[in-house]
Amino acid sequence: MINYILALLLGIAFGFSLNKAGLTRYYKIVNVFRFTDLAVLKFMMTALVVSMSGLYVLRGLGWITFPNIPATYVAGNLVGGLIFGVGMAITGF
Amino acid sequence: MNWLKTQISKELWSPYVAGVLLGVVGVLAVWLSDSLLGASGAFENLVGILGKAVAPQAFDNMYFNFIMPPAITWGVVLFFGIIIGGLVGALSSRTFKIRIAGDEQWKSIFGPQTWKRWVIAFLGAIVLEYGAGIAGGCTSGLAISGGMLLAPAAFLFIAAMFASGILTTLIAYRKNY
Repeated sequence: MINYILALLLGIAFGFSLNKAGLTRYYKIVNVFRFTDLAVLKFMMTALVVSMSGLYVLRGLGWITFPNIPATYVAGNLVGGLIFGVGMAITGF
Repeated sequence: MNWLKTQISKELWSPYVAGVLLGVVGVLAVWLSDSLLGASGAFENLVGILGKAVAPQAFDNMYFNFIMPPAITWGVVLFFGIIIGGLVGALSSRTFKIRIAGDEQWKSIFGPQTWKRWVIAFLGAIVLEYGAGIAGGCTSGLAISGGMLLAPAAFLFIAAMFASGILTTLIAYRKNY
């Protein structure tokens, strides 16, 4: 139960950050593909840097173990990404 | 305190600040719940529930029985949290509005009709979710959650996503690019 409450709270913080970064708007998503507004990239890469440093520090301290790492399967990741990009560019989601 | 209030009611934050918030959420998800953030998987769990009720035979396969079980998972709860969080964000800046048409930029490229926005959004979302299903995650579930664990899959996905996103936008915008 406590896990579900955590999920809800984390989800709210997640949605809030997406909204404040402007990623709920069509033009923000598409303009990163036109190189006229790099907010999506700045947002994603900042989140990545913060979370990867945090996680590796915590693992180094022995406080956490990593969950299952998403499987690498080159063709699937690439083809999926290519299809995903088409959808993302025309909908702006 | 007033400073905080002003910041929260801003419509847009610097993407760096919002990114730090998401990064912290990503760390907490692993630390407290031993889970990874993600959004696209929740749709598949929910569709599984719906499908099992409506057409149990069509949904009686490997994918919906084992890979994406029809259940209210951690990810599904997270997904509803994301919707609430987005709503809270919009309300806090007083920009909440029910929009049914595309925004100005969308209209200038695809035309002013609202039905077009709905049809393209619907079909595009199918393409998007299908791609996420093949790749094993979406922007949040694979690119960010996988990337923070330094999973090679995440970086392959990000590269492919940007390559086809740029190409698709180039085709859709042509001389307006």
